[in-house]
Amino acid sequence: MASLDDPGEVREGFLCPLCLKDLQSFYQLQSHYEEEHSGEDRDVKGQIKSLVQKARKAKNRLLKREGDDRAESGTHGYESFSYGGVDPYMWEPQELGAMRSHLSDFKKHRAARIDHYVVEVNKLIIRLEKLTAFDRTNTESAKIRAIEKSVVPWVNDQDVPFCPDCGNKFSIRNRRHHCRLCGSIMCKKCMELISLPLANKLTSASKDSLSTHTSPSQSPNSVHGSRRGSISSVSSVSSVLDEKDDDRIRCCTHCKDTLLKREQQIDEKEHTPDIVKLYEKLRLCMEKVDQKAPEYIKMAASLNAGETTYSLEHAGDLRVEVQKVYELIDALSKKILTLDVKQDPPPHPNTLRLQRMIRYSATLFVQEKLLGLMSLPTKEQFEELKKKRKQEIERKRILERQAALESQRRLEERRSDLASRATNGEVVPPRRGPAPLRKAEGWLPLSEGQRQSEDPDPLLQQIHNITSFIRQARAAGRTDEVRTLQENLRQLQDEYDQQQTEKAIELSRRQAEEEDLQREQLQALRERERERERDQAASLHMRTRSLDFREIRPFQLEPGREPRTHLAHALDLGSSPAQSGTATKTSPPSLAPEPFRGWSGPPALGQEFLPQSTPTQRSEAPSLNPFDEEEDLASPSAEGTASPPAPEPSLGPPARLLREYNPFEEEEEEEAVAGNPFARPDSPAPNPFDEEDEHPPWTPASPPVPGNPFEEDSDGGREGAEPIEEELLLQQIDNIKAYIFDAKQCGRLDEVEVLTENLRELRRALATQKAGSD
Amino acid sequence: MNVVFAVKQYISKMIEDSGPGMKVLLMDKETTGIVSMVYTQSEILQKEVYLFERIDSQNREIMKHLKAICFLRPTKENVDYLIQELRRPKYSIYFIYFSNVISKSDVKSLAEADEQEVVAEVQEFYGDYIAVNPHLFSLNILGCCQGRNWDPVQLSRTTQGLTALLLSLKKCPMIRYQLSSEAAKRLAECVKQVITKEYELFEFRRTEVPPLLLILDRCDDAITPLLNQWTYQAMVHELLGINNNRIDLSRVPGISKDLREVVLSAENDEFYANNMYLNFAEIGSNIKNLMEDFQKKKPKEQQKLESIADMKAFVENYPQFKKMSGTVSKHVTVVGELSRLVSERNLLEVSEVEQELACQNDHSSALQNVKRLLQNPRVTEFDAARLVMLYALHYERHSSNSLPGLMMDLRNKGVSEKYRKLVSAVIEYGGKRVRGSDLFSPKDAVAITKQFLKGLKGVENVYTQHQPFLHETLDHLIKGKLKENLYPYLGPSTLRDRPQDIIVFIIGGATYEEALTVYNLNRTTPGVRIVLGGTTVHNTRRQLLVSLLPEMMPECCSGFWTAQPKQGNLSGYIKVSDLNGATSPLASLQAFSTDQRGVGEEPWVLCLLL
Repeated sequence: MASLDDPGEVREGFLCPLCLKDLQSFYQLQSHYEEEHSGEDRDVKGQIKSLVQKARKAKNRLLKREGDDRAESGTHGYESFSYGGVDPYMWEPQELGAMRSHLSDFKKHRAARIDHYVVEVNKLIIRLEKLTAFDRTNTESAKIRAIEKSVVPWVNDQDVPFCPDCGNKFSIRNRRHHCRLCGSIMCKKCMELISLPLANKLTSASKDSLSTHTSPSQSPNSVHGSRRGSISSVSSVSSVLDEKDDDRIRCCTHCKDTLLKREQQIDEKEHTPDIVKLYEKLRLCMEKVDQKAPEYIKMAASLNAGETTYSLEHAGDLRVEVQKVYELIDALSKKILTLDVKQDPPPHPNTLRLQRMIRYSATLFVQEKLLGLMSLPTKEQFEELKKKRKQEIERKRILERQAALESQRRLEERRSDLASRATNGEVVPPRRGPAPLRKAEGWLPLSEGQRQSEDPDPLLQQIHNITSFIRQARAAGRTDEVRTLQENLRQLQDEYDQQQTEKAIELSRRQAEEEDLQREQLQALRERERERERDQAASLHMRTRSLDFREIRPFQLEPGREPRTHLAHALDLGSSPAQSGTATKTSPPSLAPEPFRGWSGPPALGQEFLPQSTPTQRSEAPSLNPFDEEEDLASPSAEGTASPPAPEPSLGPPARLLREYNPFEEEEEEEAVAGNPFARPDSPAPNPFDEEDEHPPWTPASPPVPGNPFEEDSDGGREGAEPIEEELLLQQIDNIKAYIFDAKQCGRLDEVEVLTENLRELRRALATQKAGSD
Repeated sequence: MNVVFAVKQYISKMIEDSGPGMKVLLMDKETTGIVSMVYTQSEILQKEVYLFERIDSQNREIMKHLKAICFLRPTKENVDYLIQELRRPKYSIYFIYFSNVISKSDVKSLAEADEQEVVAEVQEFYGDYIAVNPHLFSLNILGCCQGRNWDPVQLSRTTQGLTALLLSLKKCPMIRYQLSSEAAKRLAECVKQVITKEYELFEFRRTEVPPLLLILDRCDDAITPLLNQWTYQAMVHELLGINNNRIDLSRVPGISKDLREVVLSAENDEFYANNMYLNFAEIGSNIKNLMEDFQKKKPKEQQKLESIADMKAFVENYPQFKKMSGTVSKHVTVVGELSRLVSERNLLEVSEVEQELACQNDHSSALQNVKRLLQNPRVTEFDAARLVMLYALHYERHSSNSLPGLMMDLRNKGVSEKYRKLVSAVIEYGGKRVRGSDLFSPKDAVAITKQFLKGLKGVENVYTQHQPFLHETLDHLIKGKLKENLYPYLGPSTLRDRPQDIIVFIIGGATYEEALTVYNLNRTTPGVRIVLGGTTVHNTRRQLLVSLLPEMMPECCSGFWTAQPKQGNLSGYIKVSDLNGATSPLASLQAFSTDQRGVGEEPWVLCLLL
């Protein structure tokens, strides 16, 4: 088993321990194993198990090591290494155990029961409605009585000699009272009253939800317990005769009980405790993290690997944003924890426990997720990483290309033999470069672009090289060379031109697709905005809402990212002609133009490039002679393999230099901005959402990044005449106010400062805009 | 066939089905234990379950903003509690899950109580057993038999547990049982009866080879639970006691407050998961490695945090560090205490003799060693009694049996009466007369040769020579050689092929040593999956601990996160109040054993009580 842990090569995934074949899932591995190796040593089973374990527990290598170390050290009858019982994954995928539902049965029984209660309650409510339908205060007692009697038939006085609830005998002093809701008789003590407000509440509420309510148990036992309020009325027995129920309705305890239950239900339905509101916000934040964190981790991983798919700034923003949500979670859960704690009387211990638990789980959540939030490289580190990665890619490419080069060279050698130009394997002078012949005379055009200034496009690289050669040749006064080189340059530029046109076409097509996508996004956003307006009252809530805004960013930046990836694509394309270009250097002049065949069109860009490349050239330490290299390449017999650095100039340089060198990119990006659907038709160029991105409080520290054309663009847009949507500005101001409030509460003073700064700026912007529009 | 996973899936399903929102889990005392074995608190918190309540707890507050998930055993009391609950609902909506088959009439009375229509679900989820390890389950029943026969209450509980297990694993097995045990036969019949009655439930996809349920009785192998264990899990259970993954360390000298009770769960403690089956020596070195790793990490913390980067790194690593420090301190404490107990009680020497008694047939040497140890003052009276018990079991019918002499030695050593009584009790329980098969002297030629060869090779580890009898039984079963006259099938049909899925159930409780055996069999036998279960998981001292510490009374299944008032009784006849009333441990034991003997309880239980 230890052999699988070879430090040299770590292979991951579901590898078969016997044949090291990579299988996609555990089950495939298992079936593979069963099919292929079932007859072999059973010990393998343990190996698979350990492998699976490894895959599963890869993240906690620390503790696992112990298990592995012990693997071979069995000292007694038992095999001593173990992984916590029989590995559950070794056994066939287990489905959920058997279960049986009684719900339909349950519902059947319940429905029968419920119907009865629903009817009961409805009856009471309807009667109550009738009793309260007229103006009681301005109606005579007799008339009221008549109406009351019409609602429900009253039980005959003679039939009830004793109060059915307390058993007291009725007499002159202990008079009979009728329940207005069911007509039954009880004594004064057992009588209950329903006030008009309560009656109104009940009747109005039940109109819309009659079907859902129920009535309570009417078992006689429970009645005695719930006879409240009657004792107080004992003292007023003497005044009974004169009493007129202006604003109350007499009823029996049973009916009152039923109605009170009903009232409680209504109350509960309407009431949402604070904890629920806060909790919902908390969950919303957690969802956001769940959705954002993986995105960030992807970015961070990519950036840490030196890739340039994502921009560092963007990832930084996202990180800050996610962290902000964490803080919000923390604040919310704290709030839940302290909810009502100081209240008098103190809340039930279970409520406190609930609050503690929510806080605890929020803490766990933050702890766990924050842990996975890897840090970003700093700018300098990132540059280094990029360089490293680039070198690695180059190395790979070189290896790949060497093979191709070699075969090509062999071919060329044969041809050059045919042309009988070669003598004793001596270097065949390339068409444009008689340089090697003059080497002795000391003129060496110096190639730049070996190290830092490699261009994104191999063609551009080539163009630079050649321009520099031309300059050097001019300086050296070699007019013939200058001529050939210029011819060469023209061809190169033509090719580049064509490539760019193609690229631009492809790009615009993609943009059209993206626009559609973004339009959808916009739609969603508008809806969200509307929703947000509704929620404006709660500042905290606002905050969570405003976070939604940030979601737009990735989409926004996409057009910006697109050209870059696009370029990478182009780079791949470009590398092949460049490659053959390199190769042609070594080939006889007659064959040389072959790879350039496709190049046509006017040399449009030549002039543009010249001035641009010169500064870089100057900054370069003159290092390598390209012709020297060519010599190396051309003499495979001497070296066996081509030297690796040869194709370097044509390899992909860091993308960050792209903008400096490639005016086309610049243009395209601007196009992308213009095509951004977030820009309203009435304000085409500046993007209001970009505008917002400049100001969110969690990015106060990051100044507008010069490298990002978007930021620049939107900056320009703000300063420009086009008005920013006022509503959005106001919105933003409100948001920031909320943040300031929050930050103050949490005691983060530095943040408050930054936020205030932000707020001021926004206000200024708003003022300017208003002035402008007026 | 993973029992932990099976129960966990049930619980997860319950929580998922209830949708988003704050939830409370309403359980009874048994289901609390069932849930706590498969879910940790933090895990379940993440699923929005924030409160854990007992259905029988009276002071629950009305919290209409919570959803209630009720996971209950379908007992009469629970149904009554639930009816009361539904009449005056405290939560907004109820999802009701019973851990076993519930009668139609109970469903009806519940439905009639649900006047407010708060019930959204009524289901049976068969998680009615304690899942200890993926291949080990327990029913936490102590003392399941009265004499040779079942306590009817426990029989029905055991039947329920066993059928629930079958349902949760979706197995409809053939049943074999140990002929020599009446209890095994009764249980087999009861299980069969349930399967027949609930045939709809037991309709699963047929497998080529039907699964097999083998029911055994502890009395066939009374030796195994009497031995000291040297693998981590077994040792912790033997010396400290594991109760639903919880270990009580409050008696450890100088223990810090937060380590008074620790949780050892393979599910979320990787060190434990990796080491639970390793022996003590290996644990020692692994602990050392763990410590070293920890030390390597530690300086980082104490380093001066000079730069922002340092601080950032610290903050980011801190939770991990803290988690690790928790693991380290827990295991260091546990292992430290184990090794303290080992040296204090001279357990290495004791264990060596125990193993000799259990595995070898040299009477004179065994007797000599036992006598020598009885003279050793460091050997506790409990261990001394245990040695004599082992001797008595092994050499019960030996011609030169000198049990009376040893008993005399015990008395001279000052071993109290009740310990000495255990010796005769154990013989009565698991003596030769009772045993269906021969524990000590192998009969068939293969076994004899094996033992002979083993003798030639010498013993690899003197402390772990003993192989539980279960190993042999299962080995035969897997090879299709288990004798039908000793372990007959219930019903006419028999298994023609070798069995693949095997469920072994031991009436009277399984041990961790047997769990280890099954674990190894699972690992080494391709195509065979074995799950072991017992009415409980034994250690020799379990009851002793319980009686010494009434506050950690295993009220069969108390969860480790709900601080509920503990009440009720243990397996029907051991009243907590009996124990609480007694002031000194000794007195409580005294009261206990006299009580036991008075009633004429099952001797094995008595034996375990000490």
